[in-house]
Amino acid sequence: MNRQMNRKRPFFLNLLVIRLPIGGVVSILHRVSGAALSLLIPVLLYLLWRSLRSPADYAAVAGFFSGGFGWLIGLGLLWALLHHFLAGLRHLGFDFGLGEGRDRARQTAWLSLALAIALTGLIGLSTLSGGGA
Amino acid sequence: MRHVGGAHRGLDMWLMQRASALYMAGFLVVFLVLLLAAGPMDYETWRGLFAPMYMKVGGLLFVAALLVHAWIGLREIFIDYVHGLVLRLGLYLAFAILYLGCLVWSVDILWSVQ
Repeated sequence: MNRQMNRKRPFFLNLLVIRLPIGGVVSILHRVSGAALSLLIPVLLYLLWRSLRSPADYAAVAGFFSGGFGWLIGLGLLWALLHHFLAGLRHLGFDFGLGEGRDRARQTAWLSLALAIALTGLIGLSTLSGGGA
Repeated sequence: MRHVGGAHRGLDMWLMQRASALYMAGFLVVFLVLLLAAGPMDYETWRGLFAPMYMKVGGLLFVAALLVHAWIGLREIFIDYVHGLVLRLGLYLAFAILYLGCLVWSVDILWSVQ
């Protein structure tokens, strides 16, 4: 393979046009959730600080997440964490040579995608009826 | 002119990303167990979780692992999408400063619980 051939390879990365395989979907969501969590670290530390500062601050943080818009934001954060965690475990498995076959890789891609959504949904439902955990 | 970076930096970061991921995964599982074992949550119970020294030390290591993991992850994204060298290095530096600040702040937060 010479250099000239390499330079003429197509450069086609428009995510709106590419039809990603399921592994690609899980991978890009891993990146998106990781970026979101990274950018929100100062906010998450702020919430930890407030929640530990005083009973009134704790109640304010818990109140924010217990209903309405804050509840949705909490579920979004939870999904991002769960998806990043599960897809990350899957990628760690690849590093150790686990599940690298095409069929198994597709199965674990679907599994991590579905499990993150299902767990988020379950926790969302339980906090909806029980008034927060 | 000296090269920025070197042949082994990528491998170091690849390893750090996985080492920090493993620590965080372990910590999160332990924390979840402690959280569920603590029973119904209120302010005193929540604060009590952070009272033991092992939680302060383990928690600080978690924050350190998180910040390293986040910085390396953002670096990967910047390499893919930010092509101006000055802007990219500026973003590395900005997030390094922001995250170092977060690390210092987290020491104060964790050790504020007595």
